[in-house]
Amino acid sequence: MLNGRNMTSSKSVIKNIHDKLISKNISCKELTEKYFKKINESNLNAYVKLSEDTAYKTAEKVDKKIASGEKISPLEGIPMTLKDNISTDGIETTCCSKMLKGYVPIYDATVWKLLKNQNAVLLGKANMDEFAMGSSCETSCFGASFNPHNLSYVPGGSSGGAAAAVCGNIAAFGLGSDTGGSIRQPAGFCGIVGLKPTYGSVSRYGLIAYASSFDQIGPITQTVEDTAMVFDAISKYDPMDSTSNPNINFDTFSHLEDDVKGVKMGVPNQYFDGIDEEVKQSIEKAVKVYKSMGIEVEYFDLPELRYSLPVYYILACAEASSNLGRFDGIRYGYQTKNYSSIDEMICKTRSEGFGKEVQRRILLGTYVLSSGYYDAYYKKAQILRGTIVEAFKKAFDKYDVLLAPTSPTTAFKLNYTSKDPVKTYLMDICTVPINIAGLPSVALPCGMDSKGLPIGMQILGKAFSEQTILNVAYQYEVFTDYSAFHRVDMGVKL
Amino acid sequence: MKYELVCGLETHVELSTKTKIFCGCRSHFGSEPNTNCCPICIGLPGTLPKLNKEVVRYAIMAGLATHCEINLISKMDRKNYVYPDLPKAYQISQYDLPLCKNGYVELESGKKIRINRIHIEEDAGKLVHKGQDVLIDYNRGGVPLIEIVTHPDISSSDEAKEYIEKLQSIMRYIDVSDCKMQEGSMRCDVNISVRHEGETKLGVRTEIKNMNSITFITKAIDYETERQIDAIQSGGEIYQETLRYSEETNSTESMRNKENANDYRYFGEPDLITIKTNKEDLEKYKTQLPEFADGRCKRYVNDYDISKSDAKLLVKYKKVSDFFEKSIKGIDKPKTVSNLILGVIFRYIENESDKQEFNIKVLPEDLNKLVLLMQENKININLAKKALGQMMETGKKVSEVIPDDYLQEISGEEIKEICKKVIKSNDSAVKDYLSGKDKALKFLLGQVMKETKGKADAKFIEKILAGEIKNA
Amino acid sequence: MVDRKAIMNIAKLFMDESETDDVTEQMDNIIQFANEIQNVDVKGSDFDNINGLVNVLRSDEVTNSVDRELILKNANDTKDGYFCIKKSK
Repeated sequence: MLNGRNMTSSKSVIKNIHDKLISKNISCKELTEKYFKKINESNLNAYVKLSEDTAYKTAEKVDKKIASGEKISPLEGIPMTLKDNISTDGIETTCCSKMLKGYVPIYDATVWKLLKNQNAVLLGKANMDEFAMGSSCETSCFGASFNPHNLSYVPGGSSGGAAAAVCGNIAAFGLGSDTGGSIRQPAGFCGIVGLKPTYGSVSRYGLIAYASSFDQIGPITQTVEDTAMVFDAISKYDPMDSTSNPNINFDTFSHLEDDVKGVKMGVPNQYFDGIDEEVKQSIEKAVKVYKSMGIEVEYFDLPELRYSLPVYYILACAEASSNLGRFDGIRYGYQTKNYSSIDEMICKTRSEGFGKEVQRRILLGTYVLSSGYYDAYYKKAQILRGTIVEAFKKAFDKYDVLLAPTSPTTAFKLNYTSKDPVKTYLMDICTVPINIAGLPSVALPCGMDSKGLPIGMQILGKAFSEQTILNVAYQYEVFTDYSAFHRVDMGVKL
Repeated sequence: MKYELVCGLETHVELSTKTKIFCGCRSHFGSEPNTNCCPICIGLPGTLPKLNKEVVRYAIMAGLATHCEINLISKMDRKNYVYPDLPKAYQISQYDLPLCKNGYVELESGKKIRINRIHIEEDAGKLVHKGQDVLIDYNRGGVPLIEIVTHPDISSSDEAKEYIEKLQSIMRYIDVSDCKMQEGSMRCDVNISVRHEGETKLGVRTEIKNMNSITFITKAIDYETERQIDAIQSGGEIYQETLRYSEETNSTESMRNKENANDYRYFGEPDLITIKTNKEDLEKYKTQLPEFADGRCKRYVNDYDISKSDAKLLVKYKKVSDFFEKSIKGIDKPKTVSNLILGVIFRYIENESDKQEFNIKVLPEDLNKLVLLMQENKININLAKKALGQMMETGKKVSEVIPDDYLQEISGEEIKEICKKVIKSNDSAVKDYLSGKDKALKFLLGQVMKETKGKADAKFIEKILAGEIKNA
Repeated sequence: MVDRKAIMNIAKLFMDESETDDVTEQMDNIIQFANEIQNVDVKGSDFDNINGLVNVLRSDEVTNSVDRELILKNANDTKDGYFCIKKSK
């Protein structure tokens, strides 16, 4: 029993561990050891840094509390991971870039502070595309992570390490960040659940910025229940983040079973342009499932979506070019070995420290902001961003939630996209619109393709309607036996 | 053919808020290097700015004090350039929607120097060049600034000087900055071009960066004007460039030309939120504006019969002027108070900076008490000056520096008696006086003063003495 | 064609001619991709502020600064409490 709810049929990983801890079935220390053992045996390359010391210290605290009969909170003692762009005081945080190797933050990101206060057990930092730029986890300076369903496939990105860890049962949950799909796409590729919250729901303080007006931190978990639990814990107003919404107060987990009958669901036709047939069929199946639950489903047109990709890449790269200017080799991070002037030191540091994809995006961003091009690119994209916001607003006047695939294909093979950046950008078509509009969306598995790889779908909602989209997702989780396609036989078994 | 100068100023003023513009670190000047720093103001990855409310209020006050319109909707922007003193590689500033626009500062001649805009932004850190090392102190990084940009309305170095002094005075009166140029809390970029007199088109301009002394600003303007005129007259051309002024050689040198100009790639700061000012707040701020130096100066001359030069000295620093105004309560002749401040108190304050602070041991109530004693003829001016001097030195109160018996009433009758006594016992002086030696009367006066312990008014005594001698 | 050298200079990514090709190989392709919106006839005003909040401000209260040792902790070079850059290495 958690929060007084009957969860006997629960598939929640967190709840399962919680129950075992409070029934003294396993100690937090043993649990932590188990996870570290499996992490060390794992060949997913999901972790780039382990934090044993803090993990065991926390575990000890939790064990003492349990031994003394004290009540523990839902996330207390739960082994988890953070994407390596989330600042952790005293624990190296690199964004998986040569530029930040050896950088040890002196402060905690707000999300980590919140989890730390609940005694969540941080196992280590998760692999990612360098500075969150990528959708395959292959631009990491630590090498790619691998998809637990098939190791010759990518886990998706940029939060690929966290998704692989959660999918491969070497973390009970993870936090990722989603700028253009970096939580939902890897969740989809790995057959797990990921939530990109409304812009302003979760504090960005301590998240090393890629594109500030798009970035949001969110949970990556095996089940919708787990996502709800983690989201409730991290969605708190933060005075350190001016874009944090002061009115948020979510308790989605307690209301997860609320009835979804009468919910109106729209399915924008544009999401199906050029997508894999198998993905399309899975979404259509999900539509049927929802109809059978008494949800009204309607296909409709959202033509403004066609601007999404250029708008996203122009604006996100513009912000990135500015956000990544600070890496100059002076206050932290990599510095080139030989130089003859300070300007040369900065240029060499940056061109040696940043990987190619990061440099490409910085250059694109610099270009679209530079004098003479600003109006044609940046300004125009800003106006179109407003157009897309309005288009979604209109759609949500009619529908409570929207349904869409998380990507046009299932996971691709390693090295598939690295040669052609534009091809990679096109893969983000399903995920970026939500980031442009600052809206929430939860990704969850909805099938398997013929190669045995998971297919993902996402439920999109109005601003701050996380409760609604989680309820709709939860119903799918309860009434569909998707355990068949999102579990892999590896990692920690309890 | 005659040439004229066309000059505009961009003045950076550090605001005297307690904390920096985007974090809670002290914005204090003169601390040990990198001790007023936190993850936010050294730009650690992942940190976010949070705008200081007071910075917005101070900037609006500055705008209102210079007759600006206030943009009710305003926003912050990023100005991107890479330089070691700028930890985020962008300065958070304002581009298209500054807090204030379209104001002016009026010179004594009645000429208005128009202000184009006032915006808020963060200061950069400080670089120290030391041999093979460049040392960086980020204490100043994130200190709030307002930048006040004029139209090119200034046509002489004297006007530039007057404008800057006026601006200093205004900012000090509303207490948003100490405007200490020597500490860098007020700095100017000077834009200069020349053209034929009567020409309406602007010439090519150069910009002299980062000037922090009024003397050198006027020198630099004069030098650069000459240089440009000379260049044109000898058939040369003026190039748009950024210059540095050298105090040692009194000349300007090029820092960078137009081709190397920075491309700042301004765009809206996504980490900060729209600033909205409502009309009620504006009205409230307007009522908080003080009477400025010009107004006070006029009033002192007209109402208090104080000379213009004295009045100017009194109003130059608001704290002095405030002190004066508090000291004159119930005083018939405020001019006496003015004389005591300028003649006695100022003798104890060596430099301008201390006048600005005006942190003195005497309270306005004390000075007021002292002058009231004079007004009631209980002490004379000499004693008052002496007493005030002692008070300045020791911090003693009026009652401590003027013994009790001085403060006992001395009547006209008593003075008359003393005069009679003095006349009786100083025959020879009386004779001298009667034989036409006016000096002798001064001697007698001195004797009476001694007897009355300076409590009586000298003019009154002289009158009595002269009368008594005549009557004798 | 984009003036790659100029953009790399502004972005402080320029090393030397031989290295630029490798990074900017794809620049023209990427810009072509961004050009998709060039021909869109846009109406509407500039968009800012994704979440509609206004006046998120802090009060002018001092919070303690961080120990200098920590401030300098990740720097490549420091000297006498300063961050330090050697003019050449």
